[in-house]
Amino acid sequence: MKKKVIQFDSPQLSKRQVFGPQKVKRIAINLFLGFHILAITCWCLPIDTSLVSWGKHLVRPYFLWAGLFQSWDMFAPTPALANSYVEATIVFKDGSRTTWAFPRMEQLSLNDRYIKERYRKFTENLQNDQNDLLWPDVARRIARITSTPSNPAKTVILIQRWSPIVPHADSAYQPEPWDQHVLYGYGVKPEDLR
Amino acid sequence: MTPRAWLKAWNAFFFEKQSPLPIALFRIAYGVLVLATLLLLRPDWLTWYGTHAWISLPTMQTIEPGRRIDLFTIIPQSDGWINAFFWVFLTSAILLTVGLFTRINGLIVFLCLVSIQQRNLFITNSGDTFLRVTGFFLMFAPAGAALSVDRLMRIWRGKEAAVIQPLSPWAQRMIQIELSLLYFAAFCWKMKGPLWLHGAALYYVYHLAALKRFPIPAWLLQPTILKVGSWLALALEFSLGVLIWIKELRYILLGFGLLFHLSLEYSLNVPLFQWDVLSAYILFVDPADITRAWNWISGGVFAQRDHR
Repeated sequence: MKKKVIQFDSPQLSKRQVFGPQKVKRIAINLFLGFHILAITCWCLPIDTSLVSWGKHLVRPYFLWAGLFQSWDMFAPTPALANSYVEATIVFKDGSRTTWAFPRMEQLSLNDRYIKERYRKFTENLQNDQNDLLWPDVARRIARITSTPSNPAKTVILIQRWSPIVPHADSAYQPEPWDQHVLYGYGVKPEDLR
Repeated sequence: MTPRAWLKAWNAFFFEKQSPLPIALFRIAYGVLVLATLLLLRPDWLTWYGTHAWISLPTMQTIEPGRRIDLFTIIPQSDGWINAFFWVFLTSAILLTVGLFTRINGLIVFLCLVSIQQRNLFITNSGDTFLRVTGFFLMFAPAGAALSVDRLMRIWRGKEAAVIQPLSPWAQRMIQIELSLLYFAAFCWKMKGPLWLHGAALYYVYHLAALKRFPIPAWLLQPTILKVGSWLALALEFSLGVLIWIKELRYILLGFGLLFHLSLEYSLNVPLFQWDVLSAYILFVDPADITRAWNWISGGVFAQRDHR
């Protein structure tokens, strides 16, 4: 037997059908839309009012859980003002030293820099003091990469190097000298190398 | 505008049925971009997400506490399982692209995408974020209603007519809103920075060695040109965020947006970001124009074949 298909927009719909599951569904979708438009707008626009802050605070657990957190502050409010990278000095058990550096995009081929770009993002975040909890994990991994069974790493020192970008009046770009800053020193434990 | 008129406009915008062609095309582009993201990451799956990754799972949970969708917290922590997770993710992205079991694969892709980002938030760029948030709304969209294996199967089984049926576009509208908010928020953030207002910001951006891609002619790096470029970027981001909703301006703005992103793709090494954003432009194209373009292309192809 052929099933009768009821169209929601059909003029023959009874009141019961209009206020049935379709109506409930429509209301639920409208609530979903209204909430998400308001919440996402509050979340991603840089508006510093107590109402917006309160809204952000309110939706924060849901946004973090559902993966809806977002920020669109590319190169803003201020782009990076210096070229920088991170490298590590490793001191081994026998007293020797070596330098290990994260892949630097400017030194890679076009193909490799497209594939390895995550390292640029990672080291950019690594240089931020607010992310200091990352440093022990990074130091441990560098120790694992560089150690040999006969000569394990004893100390890993993470070093940030930077060269400021300075605009000149004659518009010619002159790279500035590199400066450095020790981010973190880590004493490697035997269990770190397992 | 009266409340009744406002309600009518809201209903028309979100619920007036339209062809699912734009969202289906977006699904294909989205699936391809997720696949590209995974394949670019392929050599480093275990480097970033494995048992000896740069950031351990407990460290990540300490830095970013709270309940989150993260499948890495429930799968056994062994490199074998983590590799298996990625192969499932990859397979699901392929199925989503071709539109086979679209709804369930939309869900799996979203869950996996959220998980890899939650597992290491320190390597994600704005393109990844865009894929994540649009993936959320794509789950609710009738993305398999056109250009999909699902639809072919429904036609073969006699459950669906050959003519594509119009459907409610509310989920598509949310992705469009996301795109316009991306531009408007980017504009607002830049307006907070004196270097952008002063027009000096692009000078710094284009002298970041790690971001350089293909060579740029020296005259384009003159401070005056970069100053104009900084202001044009602001004007374009505002326009794509706000004026994109004016139908008469839409295509011209999409054209400028396309040129803008292609120039960034050429000059800056930010993998896939430009394509991630451009993929959502499809949703702003009138379905009738997509059909017209398809007829024009297929007409040309068939005409050529007949001619031979």
